[in-house]
Amino acid sequence: MKPLHIFLAIVLLALVPWLLDSQYVFHIATMIAIMVPMALGMNLMLRIGQLTMAMPAFMGIGAYGSALLAIRLEVPPLLALPAGALMAGVLAAAVGPVFLRIKGVYFVLLTYAFGQIINLVFQEWTGLFGGNNGLYGIPKFSLFGLRLTATPQYYLMGLLLAALVYLAVRAIERSDIGAIFQSLNENEMLSRAIGSNAMAWRIAAFTFSALAAGLSGGLYAFYIGFLSPDAFGFRLSVDLIVINAVGGVHSALGPVLGAILMVPLPEMLRDARQYQLLIYGLSLMVFLIFIRKGLASLIQRPRSAA
Amino acid sequence: METLLDVKNLTRRFGGLTAVSDVSFSVAKGEIFGIIGPNGAGKTTLFNVIAGHFKPSSGSVHLAGQDISGHASDAIARRGMARTFQSVHVFSEHSTQENLRRAHVIGRSHNPLAYFARLARPCFGCTQLPLVAQFVGLTDHLQSPAGSLAYGLQKVLGIGMAMMVSPQLLLMDEPAAGLNPSEKKAAGVLIRRLRDELGITILLVEHDMPLVMGVCDRILVINRGKPIALGTPGEVKSDKSVIEAYLGEDYEFA
Repeated sequence: MKPLHIFLAIVLLALVPWLLDSQYVFHIATMIAIMVPMALGMNLMLRIGQLTMAMPAFMGIGAYGSALLAIRLEVPPLLALPAGALMAGVLAAAVGPVFLRIKGVYFVLLTYAFGQIINLVFQEWTGLFGGNNGLYGIPKFSLFGLRLTATPQYYLMGLLLAALVYLAVRAIERSDIGAIFQSLNENEMLSRAIGSNAMAWRIAAFTFSALAAGLSGGLYAFYIGFLSPDAFGFRLSVDLIVINAVGGVHSALGPVLGAILMVPLPEMLRDARQYQLLIYGLSLMVFLIFIRKGLASLIQRPRSAA
Repeated sequence: METLLDVKNLTRRFGGLTAVSDVSFSVAKGEIFGIIGPNGAGKTTLFNVIAGHFKPSSGSVHLAGQDISGHASDAIARRGMARTFQSVHVFSEHSTQENLRRAHVIGRSHNPLAYFARLARPCFGCTQLPLVAQFVGLTDHLQSPAGSLAYGLQKVLGIGMAMMVSPQLLLMDEPAAGLNPSEKKAAGVLIRRLRDELGITILLVEHDMPLVMGVCDRILVINRGKPIALGTPGEVKSDKSVIEAYLGEDYEFA
């Protein structure tokens, strides 16, 4: 497929909820749109060869951060959302220099532990985060005095954020930053021998991934209007890995396609509840064995190496 | 003569083993300096300590008067000391041209801030690429994937990539390893041209005696981690302790 066709197909897919005009479809579509920035953040980390399990924590910080700014300090959601994402980004930039010294399976474990600790803070610091009872009373988004309450309005915002983060990752992938990341992943020793500050680049990618997750979290908070720590658990990391594996890691389109396919899957399998995990697992195995480079590789022709 | 690299009392221990013991030498600007020694003498460890892959246990390394001991390899590279590898290290799926271009991009945009600062002056170094390709003789292979080049050419590409970051000092880890006799000869000529035509100072660690004896101005011989001789090829060849160190090994002093 030509890039233009892929683009048109995705635009058409994005329009489907309006064609079907169902609340339920709009909800699923919004959840997909919310998942996309985070999946793209995970994608960037996978490109530098570091599998992070900290995405749910950063999403949670974006969500709780922007929700609390809106509840406690009455910051307008339009400002609270990016501010929450910024908090996640700042935290990532602060812990990055320590975390990113570690590679491979140890990095996975470290970020997993970090995610658990952040989640525990959400659970135990009930005064601030509401604990397992959840955080209520998150105001709805308002734009120019207009209070946004309907799902399609949040869907539109989700599309906007998803498009924004997608374009950013695509710009990274096509610029020399993409080449620098790829070189670091392919041969770190060689990259460093010609002067690449591997650590600085890794911190940049990690911070970007946290910002993206924070944006997802902020939108999620204002859309759902209620936050509980279990939304930011370990399972979400696995979902993000699966989305990237199914969609394809080597292109920014991959996580987008992965999210479109994988987010609605549990819903589609709802009628077969007891077989849900089995079907999920089997289809994942089929993907990993037969379409190892992901969906994106099927419809995109590989771009020339130069 | 102006000293470019100054190694003082360098020691590197691994647990109870002292791989490099109290090595001192200095390389003058514009010199081709060789380090040789029998197998297991500690050449590679010495090289790796200088290049920043291992921290020295004690002693110091100064580059152009600045202390670089224990600095990370990328920080050292940014100070003007590039290196080539004993085995082939290229981005094998990309074309030769892309490898050279990337070396430049990576070297100049060493961190995100430097990257965005560089965006203001795009294509800085574009003119260098064809010149480097021509210098090392890769002009005819620019479009081929680096991984498909002959082994010797991939090693040459490694030299080209190091040249793209315009180093003052080039560290070469066994430039002749894995090359056939005619390639070895060409490598020797290339090393000399790097110095003669571009003024790049060269420090090389090598096994291949004809190459070392043919190109180096001065040679340091180490054995069991300790320096045993330092001098011109002629002096080193006739040094009694050097001959003893190599005795029984199948080396031919050309």
